[in-house]
Amino acid sequence: MSIKSLKKAPLAPATAGLMAGIAGAAQNKDVDELIAKIKDNSDKVRTAAWLGAGNVGAPAVKPLAKVMTDNDLEVARAAKRALWKIVRHAGRPRARNEKKAVTAELVPLLGDDQPAPVRREVLWMLSEIGDAKSIKPIAALLANKQLREDARMVLQRVPNKRAIGALKAGLKAAPKDFKLNIAQSLRQRGVKVRGLPCVKLVPTKKTNVKPLE
Amino acid sequence: MKKSNQLSRREFLAAAGAAVSVPYLIPSGVLATPGRGGANERLTMAHIGVGGMGGHHLRDMKRFVKAGIVNIAAVCDADENRLAGAVKTAGPGVQPYRDYRYVLERKDIDAVVIATPDHWHAVQMVHAAECGKHVYVEKPACCTIEEGKAMVAAAKKNKVSVQVGSQGRSQPEAYLAHRYLVNGNIGHIDKVTCFHYNSPEDSNPVPNSDPPPELDWDLWLGPLRWRPYNKKYCHGVFRWVLESGGGQIRDRGAHVMSCAVWWMGADGTGPVTVEATGTAPKKGLWDSAVTMDVTYTFKNPDWVLTWNQHTGNAVPAEERTGKEPGGKISRPGYGAVYHGSQGKFVHWGGDGGTWVEKKAREWKPPAGAKDVYKSPGHKEDWFKGIKTGAKTIMNIEASVGVANLCVLGNLSYILGRKLKWDQQKQEIIGDVQARRMMGHPQRHPYHL
Repeated sequence: MSIKSLKKAPLAPATAGLMAGIAGAAQNKDVDELIAKIKDNSDKVRTAAWLGAGNVGAPAVKPLAKVMTDNDLEVARAAKRALWKIVRHAGRPRARNEKKAVTAELVPLLGDDQPAPVRREVLWMLSEIGDAKSIKPIAALLANKQLREDARMVLQRVPNKRAIGALKAGLKAAPKDFKLNIAQSLRQRGVKVRGLPCVKLVPTKKTNVKPLE
Repeated sequence: MKKSNQLSRREFLAAAGAAVSVPYLIPSGVLATPGRGGANERLTMAHIGVGGMGGHHLRDMKRFVKAGIVNIAAVCDADENRLAGAVKTAGPGVQPYRDYRYVLERKDIDAVVIATPDHWHAVQMVHAAECGKHVYVEKPACCTIEEGKAMVAAAKKNKVSVQVGSQGRSQPEAYLAHRYLVNGNIGHIDKVTCFHYNSPEDSNPVPNSDPPPELDWDLWLGPLRWRPYNKKYCHGVFRWVLESGGGQIRDRGAHVMSCAVWWMGADGTGPVTVEATGTAPKKGLWDSAVTMDVTYTFKNPDWVLTWNQHTGNAVPAEERTGKEPGGKISRPGYGAVYHGSQGKFVHWGGDGGTWVEKKAREWKPPAGAKDVYKSPGHKEDWFKGIKTGAKTIMNIEASVGVANLCVLGNLSYILGRKLKWDQQKQEIIGDVQARRMMGHPQRHPYHL
């Protein structure tokens, strides 16, 4: 009997609970296996693991985020790539529920309890699959000096009107040294911004190299 | 971006209340005067990005200085060591700059050669066009679909001549191959298969570190999102990072597929679908595909273009004496096979050169045969474009079309799925995530 037909069959609550438990256990097993392989000493095993992570999906997001800060650079990198695979797989056409589930797991990883490199990577993941519900937590990072430039660019990319609203609100609240950045994003989204002209052609960096006489 | 919305350096300093006197205060962006330089006037040139290929361009440009065609006024690089070397190469009187925007401010500069890493091409080309400069920009033209659109729009709006560095189109044997193929010598061509060896894997990854003192890491990164310095991102190896270099397909694809599109008469057209698969590097920060297979399907007319990146799949190079129009083949490990209804034809494309089979080199066109454009040389063709307004052989529209093939191939590889492309609208169809990835927001203030 397929899972699809199981879902359609009238099940007693106890049986349904049992089935959910079995599915959950299988899911946990997949995640555990993935994490173990991501931490493996062999680069071949790690590579095969991250390449196949897409199907493991949302349940693996938080465990992988933890491994992204592993002391072994290659293990950390494999975890990051596995997470990206999940994002790219979940973002495929006609996979709305998977995308929603992955997004829901990613958003809490923007929190203060996470290391900045993880939060930065998660921001960019949300730039590809983030929805209206992701806007507020992304926008909150406009106030974080370390992450605000990434948050600004990510809001620029998410094609949701709420993102424009968040950028407008961010512009009002931004310190002087960051207003030009947000103004640029708003212009990219078609919003007219007064009093904060584009400075892209203003040179700022001087060389110490001298010309030949 | 409207010019009225941009701040010149003078306005910026005034607004900031800075009362300092510095040279080159007049922004050239408001002084765009297309078609400048009469037939007998020297063009005043600046070189932006002077390491690697940029160093070659600077040395090559000196033959045009000797010929009385150009003056070199400025050199620019984010690496002070490379800049110091370029000053020596360029000679006395050439002003060095770290920040290319000083170059663009100079109204005496007519044209710029941009040979920075790929992630800078679009921003610097668009800014140069907005400042009225003619542009020679290295290939691939762009790293994203949106960058390509901006480049085409900027060149058109500011009426500047743009040549993109897929110089294979200007090689003597490219003309011979083109003429041979359009005259039906292998019949109707419905398939072109490009061959190339693998991208390298990093056998010795290193941790992040402080950037070397001579390098302005912030400026090198430019439009890319910030990350700590790692030497495996930078000089000589940026090619193997998807964001900045795009792998072999965006490097050599921009040469080999450039000739394919040109010879197939497909400039201005695009595929309807793109499907890529590949193998990933097993360690290190390089993330471009090691092996790769991409299939581009074109409709009306129907033909298929493939990119097959596998070490060992090269068509053996033919024996040469070195006296052929293109001389000896410098690196024969890549090229393309043209599959016609009456035979096959091979093109080898090492290092941007174009070498073709003997049968095309020795073919004598009969009376009434079709002829094709013969480039006088890639830079000479650009100078002609500047002085006459003629379209360059690797103009920005054509080169964005070729770059888009490379970009779409990489996108399909990254996403692990087939993409549908609308050439008319220049957009991916039916894939929300892929559509978001048609552009990449850029770091302030290094943006389009």
